[in-house]
Amino acid sequence: MTVKHLQKVFFPGTINERHVLKDVNLTILPGDFVAVIGNNGAGKSTLLNTIAGTLTTDAGELELAGHRMTKRPVAYRARWLSRVFQDPKMGTAGELSVAQNLTLAERHTGSLSLKWYRQAGQTQRYRTLLAPLQMGLEDRLTTQVKYLSGGQRQALSLLMATLSHPDLLLLDEHTAALDPQTSAQVMDLTERIVTTQHLTTLMITHKLSDALRYGNRLVMVQDGQIKLDVRGQAKAQLRQADLMDLFTA
Amino acid sequence: MLVTSIGQGLLWAPLVIGVFLTFRILDIPDLTTEGSFPLGAAITISAMLQGQSAVVASLWGCLAGCLAGWVTGVLDTKLKMPSLLAGILTMTGLYSVNMHIMGKANIPLLDQKVLTGYLPANWSAELQTTVVGGVVTAVVLVALVLLFRTRLGLSLMATGNNRAMSAANGIYTDRMVIIGYMVSNGCIALSGALIAQSNGYADIGMGIGTIVIGLASVLVGEIFLHGRRMWIRLAGMVLGAVIYRYLLTLAMGLGFPVDDLKILSAIILVIVICLPLLQNHYRTRQQLHQYLKQIGVDNHATTSSLDRQAPTEGLLSRNDK
Repeated sequence: MTVKHLQKVFFPGTINERHVLKDVNLTILPGDFVAVIGNNGAGKSTLLNTIAGTLTTDAGELELAGHRMTKRPVAYRARWLSRVFQDPKMGTAGELSVAQNLTLAERHTGSLSLKWYRQAGQTQRYRTLLAPLQMGLEDRLTTQVKYLSGGQRQALSLLMATLSHPDLLLLDEHTAALDPQTSAQVMDLTERIVTTQHLTTLMITHKLSDALRYGNRLVMVQDGQIKLDVRGQAKAQLRQADLMDLFTA
Repeated sequence: MLVTSIGQGLLWAPLVIGVFLTFRILDIPDLTTEGSFPLGAAITISAMLQGQSAVVASLWGCLAGCLAGWVTGVLDTKLKMPSLLAGILTMTGLYSVNMHIMGKANIPLLDQKVLTGYLPANWSAELQTTVVGGVVTAVVLVALVLLFRTRLGLSLMATGNNRAMSAANGIYTDRMVIIGYMVSNGCIALSGALIAQSNGYADIGMGIGTIVIGLASVLVGEIFLHGRRMWIRLAGMVLGAVIYRYLLTLAMGLGFPVDDLKILSAIILVIVICLPLLQNHYRTRQQLHQYLKQIGVDNHATTSSLDRQAPTEGLLSRNDK
């Protein structure tokens, strides 16, 4: 994925004008697991939303797996990228069952297709998919998702996002709304899935420890620009104190 | 009296199903109803007066309803209007459209053969109405049950429930909303076509209050038949339409004049909205008392504060995402 000269200005021409992304350039290589950190309002969420397509780009180019995405709607980009939202309720359809949610995430057929959505062998396949989560979801395929806990919903959401083997996985502070234990559980699951499937991942987080522990690359966004971009060995040697210094600098 | 209600209820059932589609599946209160219902009637009766058969004319009416739904859908999604306003605009515009189609405020059928005319003449009028309404409603019901087993149906449900998630999973939600409006208003206009043929005329004012009738029937239906399976939910809508007709017939039997039916409809709607809320509140309280007794808590000391927090799920509240 490549982002070139990305600009985003909110409320242009008004007294509230805010230039959030200032000429951001970022290239994510296949297999990269990038952790993005930054202050509130630094622009990391805006960056993620622009990549996902929920926000339009004001200037610049966005390319994903060799396809130009700059002006494409969210649904189009879904063929190449997946997303886990911060709010567990956002990533799943609460009124629908666990199985129906999983079916939605299997994007082989277009949404206008008149084929039956229930296919032979589906139940068994979903059970094997859900069993490794160790949350008992494999026995609750017909349960409406609104009856699941936040952690279960987020784990399901993560599973759904990775079901179609996306070229880019976006994680938007996806453990921020969970308690510490569940948060760690979901983070472990994330790493397991990302490494086994070799997914290219962009993860926003406020937890510096997570940013240091997970991923092979760390990007720090400050005041709409990328202030730090380290990878591999350099990232592994980074300490929390170094980051704190950068935050206050 | 009940037989008449069943017949009439079945003629109204497609309208209730249509309102259910937007209100429950897409989570949108769609006021287009008030315009698409008379539109279906106007198109059908005009087409029949020009020599079309009742079947073809009714299908034209249904298609016109789809078109009206498309307009509201485009206003809602592409022009980003609030859905209530989009419905109001289409409804208002349709008044003029309907006047142009009919040429005057009321057009009666002369001696054209209506749908019931295809049935044996020795059957009673009630039986004929019931059969016609039953067949049309059954076709609509089966078609929708099948639709909701397809990928498209699943995408419609997902869009109504959580648009952000649906888009993130590759569903073009605007298209889904427009399709939903079209199917819904097609059903509603079909109901208008049936009612107009049953009455023997199309009238410019026949759409007034139809959204209240539709919503009230949806809620009544949900009180009597509730489940998660689509065919049960849709069958509940048919039942709701019939029971609602029966309630109105009862009211008229009590001596209420026809002009008061609209306010009665409104009152029935208020009652069916409040009733389940109260029921729910009462049930939660009872169960709370029971639970507290079980664990040995003196409920007089604690219930008053807990009571107020007892969750009562709003009937009209938006879907729980």
